[in-house]
This record gives sequence, C-alpha cells and structure tokens, in this order.
Amino acid sequence: MAYFLQNFPQQLINGLETGSLYALVALGYTLVYGILEMLNFAHGDVYMVGGFLAAGVAALFVHSGVTAVPAALVVVLMIVAAMAGAGILGVAIERVAYRPLRNANRLAPLITAIGVSLLLESVVQVRVSPAPVLVPNNALVPQLVVHLGSVATPLTAVVLLATCVALMMTLDIFVFRTQFGSAMRATAQDREAASFMGIDIDRVIMVTFLVGSALAGMGGVLFSLRFATVDFFMGFLIGIKAFTAAVIGGIGNIRGAMVGGFLLGVLESLGGGFISTEFQDVFAFLALILVLLVRPQGLFGEKPLERA
Amino acid sequence: VSTEPLSGERTSVARRLWRAGAFGRNRLLTSPQFLVPFFAVAAALPLLTQYLVDNYSWTGGEYWLRIATTCAMYASLALALNLAVGYAGLLNLGFIAFFGIGSYSYALVASDQMHIHLPLWSAVAVVIAVTACMALLVAAPALRLRGDYLAIVTLAFGLIMAELVLDLDRAPTLFGRRFGPASLNITGGTEGIHVVDPFKLPDNFPLIHGVALQTRTYYWVALGLTALFVFCMMRWRNSRTGRAWLAIREDELAARVMGVNTYRYRLMAFTASAVMAGLVGMLNAAYLHNAFPGNYDVQQTVLVFIMVILGGLASIPGAIVGACLVTILPFMLQQLIFYKYVVFSVVLIVLMIFRPQGLLGTVSMRPRQVMGGTVELFTELADSEAELARAPGAPAMAEVEATSGAIVETPESG
Repeated sequence: MAYFLQNFPQQLINGLETGSLYALVALGYTLVYGILEMLNFAHGDVYMVGGFLAAGVAALFVHSGVTAVPAALVVVLMIVAAMAGAGILGVAIERVAYRPLRNANRLAPLITAIGVSLLLESVVQVRVSPAPVLVPNNALVPQLVVHLGSVATPLTAVVLLATCVALMMTLDIFVFRTQFGSAMRATAQDREAASFMGIDIDRVIMVTFLVGSALAGMGGVLFSLRFATVDFFMGFLIGIKAFTAAVIGGIGNIRGAMVGGFLLGVLESLGGGFISTEFQDVFAFLALILVLLVRPQGLFGEKPLERA
Repeated sequence: VSTEPLSGERTSVARRLWRAGAFGRNRLLTSPQFLVPFFAVAAALPLLTQYLVDNYSWTGGEYWLRIATTCAMYASLALALNLAVGYAGLLNLGFIAFFGIGSYSYALVASDQMHIHLPLWSAVAVVIAVTACMALLVAAPALRLRGDYLAIVTLAFGLIMAELVLDLDRAPTLFGRRFGPASLNITGGTEGIHVVDPFKLPDNFPLIHGVALQTRTYYWVALGLTALFVFCMMRWRNSRTGRAWLAIREDELAARVMGVNTYRYRLMAFTASAVMAGLVGMLNAAYLHNAFPGNYDVQQTVLVFIMVILGGLASIPGAIVGACLVTILPFMLQQLIFYKYVVFSVVLIVLMIFRPQGLLGTVSMRPRQVMGGTVELFTELADSEAELARAPGAPAMAEVEATSGAIVETPESG
C-alpha cells in the first residue's frame, strides 16, 4: 500500500502524458466517425507521417549545421511542416480512397482504409527508413527535469501535456462556437438534412479531415520531440489505442474522446505500474473489448448503438 | 446474353468462360468437370517437377514445389477467410490469430516444449477443439456488435494474442507476484517453438520416395486440404446455412425479419472459418517444423484479405486465383520484392474503388443503384403469398417458400 501511495502520483503523471497524445489522435477518429460513420484506419499512419516530416525538418537544420537558425524557429517550422503535410495528406486520402465509396457498404471504405494504412507504412519503410530515425531533440528543446515533490517529469512532457490540452480547447471552441463548427455538427447529425440547409457537405468533410489530420501531425511532432525517435510502425499501435480512447469516450463525441484518451493513458500507466508491465498493452485492448461489450455507446455517447 | 445455343456448337473452354459472365464463370469453374481435372493436374505437379529434374537437370524443382505448397496453404487460408467475409460479411481482422492458434496448439502437443507427442489424428482433434473454443470465446460477445466494431474487437483480440505469445515464455507476473514456476515456458517468446513434429507417414507409402520427399508429402497434404475446403464451401453455399449467411451479408435486418437467427448463423460462420484457419496453421507448423510469432503479424491478415478481395468476395475459384497471384508474383518480380506491400496496398485500394467484385467475384460491396421496382415486386409477391395462404391446404404455402428460396426459421425469442 505504501508502495502504491508513493508511486501513484508519478504513474498518474506518466499516464496523463501518454493519455494526452492518445486524446489528440483520438479526436481525428471521432471527428471523422461523427460525420462519415467510418473508421479511418489510416489515421494512425497520418500521425506517423507527421512525425517523419518533423524529423525531416529537424534533420535538415540540425545535421546540416545551420546554426544561424534559432532552435525555436526550427521547432515552429517542424510544427508547420508536420501539420500542413499531415492535413493535406488526410484530405488527399479522403478524396482518393474514401469519397468514391461514400455511399457504399460500410465495409468497403474500411477495407480501403486498411489499404491506405498499409500503403503509408510500406512507402515510408521502403523509401524513407526501415529503422527508427533519431530526432535531435536535445538541440531543439531544453532537456530539463521538473521536480514536484516526489514526482519528476521532463519539461518536454509537461509541454506536451499543455500543448495537447490547448489544442483540444481550440478544437472544442471551433466545433461548438463557430459557424463552421455548427455546420459540422449539423452534418454529423443528419447529412441529408444539412445539405438541404445549404451546407456544402464535401467541404465540411474536407475540413474535418484537414483538422483531424493536422492534429495527428501535431501529435507526431510532440512525440518526436519528447521521445527523440520516429519509425514507420509507430502509428499502428497508437492508432488503435486512440481509437480505443474514442470508443471509451463514445465515438463521435469530441469531449468524450478527450476524456477517453486521458482515461486510457492513466489506466494503462497504472495497470503497467502496479499490476504487470509486460501486459500493459493487453490491459488497453481488454478495456476496449469490455467497453464495447458492456456499453458500446461509450461513456458519453448519447444514443445506444444499433446492434447487430 | 448470347442468343446462340451454347450446347449446339463446339466452343472451346476458354471461349465459354469468356462468354459466361461473372455468375456463369463461377459456376463453370466450380463444376466437377473443371475441378476434378484441375486438382488431378495439380496433384501431378510433383511428378512433373521430378521428371524435369531427372531428365533435363532442372534445378528449380524443389524451389517451385515449395512455392506451390505455400500457394496451396494460402489458398486454403483465403477460402477460410472467404467463408467469414465473403459468405457472411464478417470482417474478422484477427483472422491470422486463429492461424497462429492452430500452429501453436499443434506445436504444444507435438514437440518437446511440453514433452507431449500426440499422434496426428489426436493432434487434429486438439487443434479443432482449441481454435473452436477460442473463436467462440471472442465471437460470442463480439458478434452482438455491428460490422465495423466486430472488426475492431477482432483486431484487438489478435493483438492480445500476439502479446501473449511474446510474453508467455516466462511465468506471468501480476501485482508483483509470479504465477507458476520460474521455469514455466509455454510459447517460447520471440524464438517460438522449434522442432515441431512433422507429419509421419508409413515408409512404404507410394510415390513419396525420391529427392523432395518431405516437400512432396506436404504439398499433397496442403492440396488435399484445399480440395476439402473447396468441397465444403461448395456444399455450404447451396445449403440452408449458406443461404442464411448470404442473406445476412446482403441485409441483416431483412434476414432477421425473415426469421433467420442471425446471431447463431454469424457465430457458425465465424467459428467454422476460424477452425479452418487453425487447421491450415497446424499444417504450416508441421511443414516449417516451428511455430514462430513473426508468421502471424497483422500484415499477414491484410495479405489474406488482399487475396480474397483480388479474387473476388465469396468466389471459390477467386480465392484460389487470388492466393496464387499474391504468393507467386513476389517470387517472379524479385527486383520489386521491397515494394511488395506498396504494390499490394495500391492494388487493394484501386480494386475496392474500381472493381469491388474482384477478378472473379459476383458480389459488389456497392449498393444497388436502382431500387425502383423492388418494392413493388415484394408487395406483389406478398399479395400472392397471402392469397395462397388463404386458400385451403397448407402445402401451397410451403411450395411458395420452396420456390422463392425463403429461409424460414423459428423466430428469435427475446
């Protein structure tokens, strides 16, 4: 018990950190699911591409020895490149692989999504690097450790958490307080009725993919700066975990996805820390299966899902 | 539709195939007149390679026989997946896990890992029992969910299995306590299980002497398994169960309204498909003499999916053609081996968009464009049925059911 009390705050902080990353990626799943009712399987790989773009920009400046450029500017460039690149990639994926199948059977776009996911992974693996790529994060961000009582955490982790929260709040304002946001919510409620009201559905869907993918790209930047490495397979697991988070929070529900992400992160960290390290991932997937079986609409989902 | 009588003139097989259209092609390719010679020629392949090796000093005999064996195994696997995805419309993304479960359960009862060496038929029984139990364990709760959620639950199941295989080479530690003896090693972790028993055949068995004795035996066993699966799939396709599966795939609600116990039929399809995959896994473990975790990763699932979709959903010859193409092409294009998954994923996307029915399939995942007429047709039919029901004598109603191919079951209670 003493062991538990002593280590609980540290595990909680660790969990919140990974959880914030899950939540950021989960938003992309939930936005797309809310509007198109489709599972964008390739979303985790968009996050991976974002990470690689950031790593590419960092390598360009740091390894080529351009010391005249301040580190802060490099980080900003990384963010711009990753968010823009991932956003455009997301829109392109929607245009090429999902739009032709928009009215098809539910399984058809899911299969193309699996195809896109495999395509992104294999292209990066073959053309960029089959091995993990190191990101020179110590040249870019201060490597300080913050001490709060018994809890020690790197400054980058705190920044990561804060950035994720800020982005989520921005998205929340965008969706719930702006005119375009209300168009998105209307489309999510009833696509046909929304189009009768003069909403350009294609544009709403495009922006949804743009925003969701840009957030995933930002997630990739944060990951590369915090953990200093990117690899072609990194999107797979976080994609599934983020999807789990979105389901826990109630898929299609934006605030639910945020809460679900944090919950999953903390659950995983506590499970890994206090029950068994080796079965950490198993806990996350068991949580997914349990939530789907016991409460398939998630914690905050309004309507019970149509059952088979 | 061609107006000339096909039976009257002497047309070549290729021509008839070309003219037959998607449905006719499938029917021709699954007729005994085609399948029996096909499997006979395929079974003679090792003898042909042996002849070439003996008389023309060809060196590729063993190599191509191994590729053919892999083809036969993948074809069986694609047929198994086709049962779940093509017939019943169940997107099982954890499919390869059942292949792995089959391999590992065979490896555990036929190697020094647990110091058990069961004879072949008992091992088959064990593999069937284990895969069926695992399939029911996942499917019984998961099949209550809708299509894409089923995909996610099965994917999660596959990942849990992969994790367990890697972690169960030592006693699991929970809450700081170790469960089981320190020397516990079930799955062999990242190394897998080596030296799995091969299938034993009597020494005086005909035709297996010669150079590629082992390879040849496994080729025939794999081919036999494919033939068995083809036979089962054809039988099921035209049975009451098969019609129920297709009805569920087309429109689950409609099937349920017609009185089909959709849950039970989906469970049957899922379990049967898993058991078939498990049997292929067992054969694979015996053929490779090991059960290795890398053989059961997610990319393998996608590969089998590509085979099924390339060949055509629900098409039996399609699954075989798809499996052979996906297996052989990487060997033919050695320079492009690194681009294997790039090419296959592009093929998958392009097929889904432009030809969702695949090379030989008849099922499209696109919705019917025109619904007009269907509703009237249904109401007309309902009227005539009602009329018949009113007429005295029950057989008339049964006849309507029989001719319209309806599946009538006791409705689900609750």
